[in-house]
Amino acid sequence: MTATMTQCLLRLVEEHHTLADYQGDVVPRWCAGCGDNAILAAMQRLCRDEQLPPEKTVFVSGIGCSSRLPHYMHAYGFHGVHGRALPVAEGVRLRRPDLHIFVTTGDGDCCSIGAAHWIHAIRYNMNMTVLLHDNQIYGLTKKQVSPTSPRGLKSNTTPRGAYLNPLNPLTVTLGVSNVSFVAQAVDWIPDLLYDIIAEAHRHHGLGFVRILQRCPEFMDHRFDEAVRDPSKTRILVHGDGLRLKPELSRIYHNKEVHDPLDMPRALAIAALEDEIPVGILYKNPAVPCYEDVREAERPNTPDLIRTVLDEEFDKVTIWPDEQEPPAAAE
Amino acid sequence: MDQSSTPLAETKTAAAAAADAGASRPALFALYGTLEGLRYDYPLVLVEGEAPVLRPLTGIMDDILRRTAPPGTDGEALRQHVLRLEHAIRRRVARGERDSLASLWWRCAAELLAASGEAPFGPLDTDLDRAREALNVDGLVIDCDANAPEEVLVHAWKAVYAAKGKAFRKKVDGLILRLTDILKAEFMKSDAARTPQALELSIGSSFGSDFDFGALSRVLSHGSAHTPALDARQERIQRVLQVLKSQRFYPPGRSSERKPGQPNPHNFIFESCAEALDAFRERLDEIVDFVKALVIAELEIANKYRADLHDPVFEAFDESDLSAEQLALLPSSLVCLRDGTTDTADTVRAFEALASGLPIKVLIQTDDIVGDTSPEPSRTAFGVGSAHFAGMAMGLNNAYVLQASSALLCRVRERLIAGMSHDGPALFSVFSGAVKTASHVSPYLMAAAASEARAFPTFAYDPAAGPDWAARFDLSENPQAEADWPTHRLEYEDEALQRQAEDVAFTYADFVAADRRYGRYCRPVARADWRDDMVPAADCLMLAQAGEGYVLTAGADNALYRNVIDDKIIEAARRCLDAWRRLQELAGINNSHAIRLVAREKAAWQAQAAAATPEPASAETAEAAPAVTPAQPAAPAAAAAPEEPQETAEHAEAAGQSDDAYIETARCTTCNECTQINNCLFAYNENQQAYIADPDAGTFRELVEAAESCQVSIIHPGKPRNPDEPNLAELIARAEPFN
Repeated sequence: MTATMTQCLLRLVEEHHTLADYQGDVVPRWCAGCGDNAILAAMQRLCRDEQLPPEKTVFVSGIGCSSRLPHYMHAYGFHGVHGRALPVAEGVRLRRPDLHIFVTTGDGDCCSIGAAHWIHAIRYNMNMTVLLHDNQIYGLTKKQVSPTSPRGLKSNTTPRGAYLNPLNPLTVTLGVSNVSFVAQAVDWIPDLLYDIIAEAHRHHGLGFVRILQRCPEFMDHRFDEAVRDPSKTRILVHGDGLRLKPELSRIYHNKEVHDPLDMPRALAIAALEDEIPVGILYKNPAVPCYEDVREAERPNTPDLIRTVLDEEFDKVTIWPDEQEPPAAAE
Repeated sequence: MDQSSTPLAETKTAAAAAADAGASRPALFALYGTLEGLRYDYPLVLVEGEAPVLRPLTGIMDDILRRTAPPGTDGEALRQHVLRLEHAIRRRVARGERDSLASLWWRCAAELLAASGEAPFGPLDTDLDRAREALNVDGLVIDCDANAPEEVLVHAWKAVYAAKGKAFRKKVDGLILRLTDILKAEFMKSDAARTPQALELSIGSSFGSDFDFGALSRVLSHGSAHTPALDARQERIQRVLQVLKSQRFYPPGRSSERKPGQPNPHNFIFESCAEALDAFRERLDEIVDFVKALVIAELEIANKYRADLHDPVFEAFDESDLSAEQLALLPSSLVCLRDGTTDTADTVRAFEALASGLPIKVLIQTDDIVGDTSPEPSRTAFGVGSAHFAGMAMGLNNAYVLQASSALLCRVRERLIAGMSHDGPALFSVFSGAVKTASHVSPYLMAAAASEARAFPTFAYDPAAGPDWAARFDLSENPQAEADWPTHRLEYEDEALQRQAEDVAFTYADFVAADRRYGRYCRPVARADWRDDMVPAADCLMLAQAGEGYVLTAGADNALYRNVIDDKIIEAARRCLDAWRRLQELAGINNSHAIRLVAREKAAWQAQAAAATPEPASAETAEAAPAVTPAQPAAPAAAAAPEEPQETAEHAEAAGQSDDAYIETARCTTCNECTQINNCLFAYNENQQAYIADPDAGTFRELVEAAESCQVSIIHPGKPRNPDEPNLAELIARAEPFN
């Protein structure tokens, strides 16, 4: 197929972005050892490898340690209010179909105050990548339990230990209708973290990735066992999912070939308690995106909006005798 | 067409037969004296607004009955009422009434109700109401007459034009919206947007008293980055917006979008190719400007417009840079030419238009295929050449070509739309069937007969359908396409009033027999004078039998005649058959090359088979032949030993043998623990993962502390490089678990 004239002219000005082009001027202020650093590094690598134009990329966040990520990326960012990252991102998607949208949210921001938005964002399945930085604690506000904190965890708000069983973001997401992509990653396997985020980005729809993330300050040693014992991590591999590199295969022997279209099995894997599943649990490219389903026949240009409003006002306007009302619109 | 018996009287005098010769028609037509009582492809409804754009009235009624009439006897009354209504509509349309289906429905329903004498809300009224509710299409209803081809083609063109307009407006409006956003964003950064008045307007009156707009303006005006390059960009975008908004290729999507004084959209329907080509040339500058504006818009939206690179490109942009892909966005032109009303010279321009590759759709309507019987065709007629115009157009290779008679337009509607949607030129050659000298036969029958008789075969050529003729050329809409002539069962009564039946081929000779001009080349012979040396025209054409060739015709009294045909008709029929066989070859039917190849291969295979046949062996020879032992299965390959996974320890051990410190960089999680200890000893690579940048830039203690604090334990301190470093024994002990 021959290239269009626009494509030819675009090639005259191809720019190559390095990783440094995606690094913001602000040095990350996360604690040393924080898993957010790994996620940031993976995001910057992805932007570089996909050559996403910084001016066409936007990071939307809520409140929490996770939500500082937009400040550290040299791209457009929206650091919004607590729990509202997803509706803001949906608005951006509707208005700017040309942008690459990433949402960074935390276990409190998404699963607590933002739970309602989370459920409906899954259902709307708008094209964006959602990274849930799940460190199982409210870290920015210095250690309160979150919906994903383990039962019995002592915190400032639960000095006798958390009373309730934690919420499982994977089973909840898989249970929402229209779900199209659910994956889990861990920040201590950076290669898989990158691969999973890349798959979520390439997926046309809402790519939901829960990232188990260490908090060295308030949840130290939470994932030590999993970090030290590879058998505690179950890697999900498939031709349509993740493929494990040889060097990782040597370390992680606990693998399962899992078809991402197999929902019942995905739910069972998501509910595992003794092992941490890492990989793509569910991927269904056939689920329609809301913005595609609701795409208007014509974009709403300012002139069109003015025309339609005038038509409606004309219907109820009392016209002077000497003036002809305009003909009814087709 | 359904076949059934027809009562044909057999006794007729030769004189009476001669007198009726002018009104004779092919015997297969005898059943179809009037079409009003039949259900067939006409009338056609030119459907507004949705696909398919052409639907026969019968199809619409059948669809309504399928959805509303219960099966079996319960729905019989409804079916009868709806079919009566269909018949009434058909009668009105046949009488020349032209209106939309909805209007005709109302009038005919009122007429039926009045004629039935039934009270309102009776069974007829209720049934017709119910059917009316299920009617979900509307459009002009047309009959098969001299105007049908142009009406159908114009309607199809308009449908495609409307669909293209929708896609065009969506694309252009999307560009306008994005460009407007850019201008808005640029405006917000400009001085004009930061004046106190502008800020007050943007905030609105509800909260106006909460702000000091003067102070706000002063704050925002600090460090505003305004450059001449931004001015140039704004001007360029304004120009592009102006071009995009003022385009005249398609009308606005809503009638209320038209502003007073705004010029009308261009007309794209012409009466001659010269007009169409001239219009294209007049609009060329406008087309070039529009295409340039499109490309510039896309570059600006991608934020990739570079004045130093792109300005010279667009300054030199002219019509030679226009591509088919860009022209495909714009509407095609439609030119309707007609046999007898179009100057012959314009047919030459039509060919030129098709050869140009421009998006021009040409309809050539033929009302007379066979032409006058004088030696030369008249000046304004295409003559017999018109049937070959489509064949010539196929030779251009880039034009979409569709040939069909009016009778088949509904069946080939998908191809019609495909031709109208084709990016390049297209030719539609249509025979209307409205032959003046065959007015005793309806145009529909004449049109259908022309297809049957191969006088005007139906075919389509789509150059975009594939790389070869098999993909591009289609002859499948012709009846019995693999035969020379289609054959049909003719049933009649003989002189003893017994039912007889025979298979009759419908040839070119049968077709011309319906035309009064050729009456003088035919000699009707009544039954009593039939002879054995008379042979059917189909057989005569094949030279299979000598004798007088004849076609079966029916007179005005439905008597059956053998119409002996002159050699001139036979020669014309042979030419027609020859042309048909050429088309068959193109479609892969009876392809002479393929037949010869198959014959050659078959002969070669037979020769090979004959040569390979062994001589019969004797019993002794059979016993002496060594027994053939079955081949031993190959020993199964030794299963590859499963590769033992290499533990990290082995890797570590191999690397640790060199005593140097190292990091498993690929597993680094970028946690900053080590770089915060010493960012000269530890550094990040291009993937933001740590490695030992300079082993001499730090102490062994720092290596050990980094190993201890590394979240994923990928730092291996090795052995100390400086033997004089204090507390080495303790540090080596601490380093041991990580080496």
